[in-house]
Amino acid sequence: MLFDTTQNALEAAISGAATRQQALAANLANANTPGYQRVDVDFHSSLAAALGSEDAKDSLHSVRFAAQVDASGATRADGSSVDVDSESAKLAANALEHQAAVQVAHARIGILKAAMGTGA
Amino acid sequence: MFDALNVSATGLTAERLRMDVTAENLANAQTTRGADGQPYRRKEVVLSEVQSGGFGAQLAKAVGAGSGSGSQPGGVEVAGITQDQTPGKLVYDPGHPDADAKGYVRMPNVDTVAEMVDLISASRAYEANVTAMNAAKQMFSKTLDLLR
Repeated sequence: MLFDTTQNALEAAISGAATRQQALAANLANANTPGYQRVDVDFHSSLAAALGSEDAKDSLHSVRFAAQVDASGATRADGSSVDVDSESAKLAANALEHQAAVQVAHARIGILKAAMGTGA
Repeated sequence: MFDALNVSATGLTAERLRMDVTAENLANAQTTRGADGQPYRRKEVVLSEVQSGGFGAQLAKAVGAGSGSGSQPGGVEVAGITQDQTPGKLVYDPGHPDADAKGYVRMPNVDTVAEMVDLISASRAYEANVTAMNAAKQMFSKTLDLLR
């Protein structure tokens, strides 16, 4: 087929990073909401599980990412577990991760285009 | 797809309102005649978390796409603006038109230092939301670059 497992994994990673971006943005939006519990999307584990399964290619198509409440962090005096600094760091890392996946996907599409003779 | 931008936008709205309310408190720090004739009472914004229930989320739920659990982060909303009911301090100022028989004036319960802290907190939180919005914008434009 035209697109292999790696390409599907890259697509899933891009979608996972986009979902995680939404969760991290919600944490920052609720930085001053008392009692708010931070949420996060662990798309790495979902991806690793899909890649490790018997039928990796089909599993990658059906992999879904969901925001989960993260109760592991320290809770502030107002009951919120958002730390703006750590959220910002995660946000920057996630954006870079997304960019990396997009660039690799882009390069692979370029290779396909070159092979098809339509120019990279 | 643009949910992350909307989430950050709710944060911007909420923090801007906090800044507006803090500015109002500061402006009325010496107001002895509020709307009800009583000394001004400081106002406070109550924020609460929203679960995404927009068109995109409903559509995703209807076609069974998106996250399995259904609850997506939706951002923040203003639940209301409350008045701080703690009494303001009494200041001895017999010449003041609002002084009582003993010469004391009931001042607003606004603590300017606390308001300044709130102002900085709202301003920083606003910046954090702008940063998140920019990151989301860059991510979306990178994804669109795949088409080129």
